[in-house]
Amino acid sequence: MEEPIISIRDVHKYFRDDIQALRGVSLDVYKGEVIMIIGPSGSGKSTLLRSINNLEQIDFGDIIVDGHSVNNHKDINALRMEVGMVFQQFNLFPHLTVLDNVMLAQKIVRKRGEKEAYETAMLLLEKVGIPEKASAFPLQLSGGQQQRVAIARALAMNPKIMLFDEPTSALDPEMIQEVLEVMIQLAKEGMTMVVVSHEMGFARAAANRCILMDSGKIIEEAPNDELFTNPKEERTKLFLSRIL
Amino acid sequence: MQSKNIKKNTTNSWIDKNLPQVGELSRIDAWWGLVIIVLLLIILLVTLVPQPFSRILNYVSDGVIITLVVTLTSFILTMILGLLCGLGRVSKNKLIYGVVSVYVEVVRGIPLLVQLMVWYFAFPAIIINLGKTLNYEPFETYLANPIMMAIIGISICYAAYMAEIVRAGIEALPAGQMEAARSLGMTQPQAMRYIILPQAYRTIMPAIGNEFITLLKDSSLVSVVAVADLTRRGREFMSTTFLPIETWLMVALIYLLMTLIAARIVKLLENKTKLEK
Repeated sequence: MEEPIISIRDVHKYFRDDIQALRGVSLDVYKGEVIMIIGPSGSGKSTLLRSINNLEQIDFGDIIVDGHSVNNHKDINALRMEVGMVFQQFNLFPHLTVLDNVMLAQKIVRKRGEKEAYETAMLLLEKVGIPEKASAFPLQLSGGQQQRVAIARALAMNPKIMLFDEPTSALDPEMIQEVLEVMIQLAKEGMTMVVVSHEMGFARAAANRCILMDSGKIIEEAPNDELFTNPKEERTKLFLSRIL
Repeated sequence: MQSKNIKKNTTNSWIDKNLPQVGELSRIDAWWGLVIIVLLLIILLVTLVPQPFSRILNYVSDGVIITLVVTLTSFILTMILGLLCGLGRVSKNKLIYGVVSVYVEVVRGIPLLVQLMVWYFAFPAIIINLGKTLNYEPFETYLANPIMMAIIGISICYAAYMAEIVRAGIEALPAGQMEAARSLGMTQPQAMRYIILPQAYRTIMPAIGNEFITLLKDSSLVSVVAVADLTRRGREFMSTTFLPIETWLMVALIYLLMTLIAARIVKLLENKTKLEK
């Protein structure tokens, strides 16, 4: 069996000493897998996702990404280059054009030349379907367009893993589909993805495994979209009855 | 119902056409009116009553230059020092944060006038005493340059206020901006330089402009530490001619003209740096 590309081992995380966000989470993600994490708010799913690229520091346990421990990684920025992240609130840089949003990190982190960065950026903007908005500013775009730019920005670093933190939760219903289509396309191309989301449509189309988390623990894990269609645990059934 | 709608629409389009929009500078507004009145007043006084107004203007004109030099130099130094200290105020390094915080709190708690006194009178005395104990010739004969001391005093005082403005500007940005930059692999300094500061600077532009205008006015305090600025030249003229009304009318008008022009420049810069929406 090959090595997992992400290996999460008995991870604990405390907020302000007394609130425990993660209580011993273990999870292996293999190359090309699409993992979907669902759960109520405060269940630790976003915290778990954010600790994979060390935006949250874990207090106990270990997370190995692509052979390197996130915990005491000498060069965390080198690791973050390999792990793209898409946020709920898009977090595009509002003072830069769409094109510059996608080009900046390529130039200053990947040290690519202007021409290469530009070509990569335009290719990705075409891929997410908005090359015509290259010279627009983020606040001039709709939410769905902004989120697609955010995906292009993360992909421009040629990451090995993509993390999605509730990518469609801040979107109007009619814009969710355009973002999901980009994500499904990405999954089909073999990208390793960890997705925090409640979109059943995405689970059906792309997920290899779905996980339900509650109060900092993994409650249930099931292949494909079986977690939605055939839940075993009472907690899972209760949660699904509330969101569906 | 329909007629109501139509009425509402026409009212709106009338407003759109005839009233300046938010942030828009109309060609003729209160600012132009004021500038024209102030300029006219100065010109009329100087041409129609050259005795004493033309004499006053001639007498204080070198003071205007000094006021401008002190203001602009201090402001540039304030911006540099204020940016560095502002970064120190958001630093996670406890030592840097501590040192900068003490500096900001101390400086903000002492009046600028007293600080100028310290720099012009107390600081040189300390140097001279130090020179005497160490028998070091250049220190013993140290002579403070009033303009230099004034610029140092103002810059160090204003940088403390500027540091707080910079800190507020950085902290006002959503945390997601820093997270997005870091998640792309940018280092902390890279994220500051390319993502955080360019945005913070847009937010704090009005506050910086305010500081500039306040600094221009506060520069009159340097007149008490032997700097021949506009205020001091005015006082000298008054003490030789005993014309307080005419002297201070002229000085006040010149200050007003300078601050009005500064305010407009600030406003133009503000409009230039707005985020595109």
